[in-house]
Amino acid sequence: MADTLPLAEAKSLVARARAGDYAALEQLYRAYERPVYTLARRLTKSADDAEDVLQETFLEVCRSLRQWRGDGSLWGWIRTIAASKALMRYRREKLREWEPLEDELGAGSRAEDVPLQLDLEAALAKLPERSRAVVWLHDVEGYTHEEIAELMGMTTSFSKSQLARAHDRLRRWLGAGVQA
Amino acid sequence: MSETRHGTSEELLALRDGEGSAWVRAHVAECPACAAELERLEQVRARLRALPSYAPPRDVWPVVLEATRRERRRRRWSAWSGIAAAAAVLVLGVAVMRHSKGPSPEDVALQKAMAESAAMEQMFEAMHPDRRTLSGQAASVVADLEDQLAQVDAALNDTVTWRGDPERVAGLWKQRAGLLSALVDVHETRASYAGL
Repeated sequence: MADTLPLAEAKSLVARARAGDYAALEQLYRAYERPVYTLARRLTKSADDAEDVLQETFLEVCRSLRQWRGDGSLWGWIRTIAASKALMRYRREKLREWEPLEDELGAGSRAEDVPLQLDLEAALAKLPERSRAVVWLHDVEGYTHEEIAELMGMTTSFSKSQLARAHDRLRRWLGAGVQA
Repeated sequence: MSETRHGTSEELLALRDGEGSAWVRAHVAECPACAAELERLEQVRARLRALPSYAPPRDVWPVVLEATRRERRRRRWSAWSGIAAAAAVLVLGVAVMRHSKGPSPEDVALQKAMAESAAMEQMFEAMHPDRRTLSGQAASVVADLEDQLAQVDAALNDTVTWRGDPERVAGLWKQRAGLLSALVDVHETRASYAGL
């Protein structure tokens, strides 16, 4: 997603917010609440979890505004905080995801695919959380595998293999055509 | 064809992301099945990016605002109470000295600077700075003054400072009073400009 605020406006709002101007802080919140919530919905398992992530993210943003030096995109900085908060929930909850065996996936055998005709939204929701997080961070948000590995506390090859497995599943569920 | 096998998902995804190996690049150029799969992977990515965004079901801003206000008040209070505790120890020491041989000019200067700082602190807090709206320029001045204030507070919170040069300690208190006075000025100017 592109930054919703031009850099000059973001810098001015952050300076005012740092000085204790709560109206400026609210403007920042309003500019980013939707992209943060959307990211949180994609990385967590429920709307309630996403709402918690939205709240935790902005508390952290308000607390750490001084750390944003204005040399990079404000959205990039806020997005990384939101992604960390969402991914932290996996570790905190010690989530154990159901990982189907390779033969259940028909791994690599494109000719044997039996499309389930799910739409893309439903197929994405059906992915295990970690896989969905990797797909979203890489394919939509543009994170590199190195950045995802750092965020998730895993290796780069883990991120690459999760992405490949997720796309194998999506292919199986969506079939050759892609429905939005 | 370059090789009898097809490209794996990982290889094709790497190619889609501009990182594929020379082998998979050459293979896809010759293999219609892998070229179609690569095209499909590109389509999936494009469709993922086109999915609609979500609007939060409830407005959580009031919760964030209240928590942030509380946190900032607590931080300010904690910095101030630390300094006040250190100051109390010093004043006690001065009182003991005064009893024996009377206060030195340095002690008098220190107490005066501390009293000025406390008065300015009260004046500043009475203005409720966290409820005010500032222009970009005023905000930048306030942020700079608050940064300097945080540095002075950190020095005053350090017990090594208090055990060291009394003149430096008095200087820090004077600096603190000056910074608070400047903050009061900025907020006062803003308040009169805004007709508050």
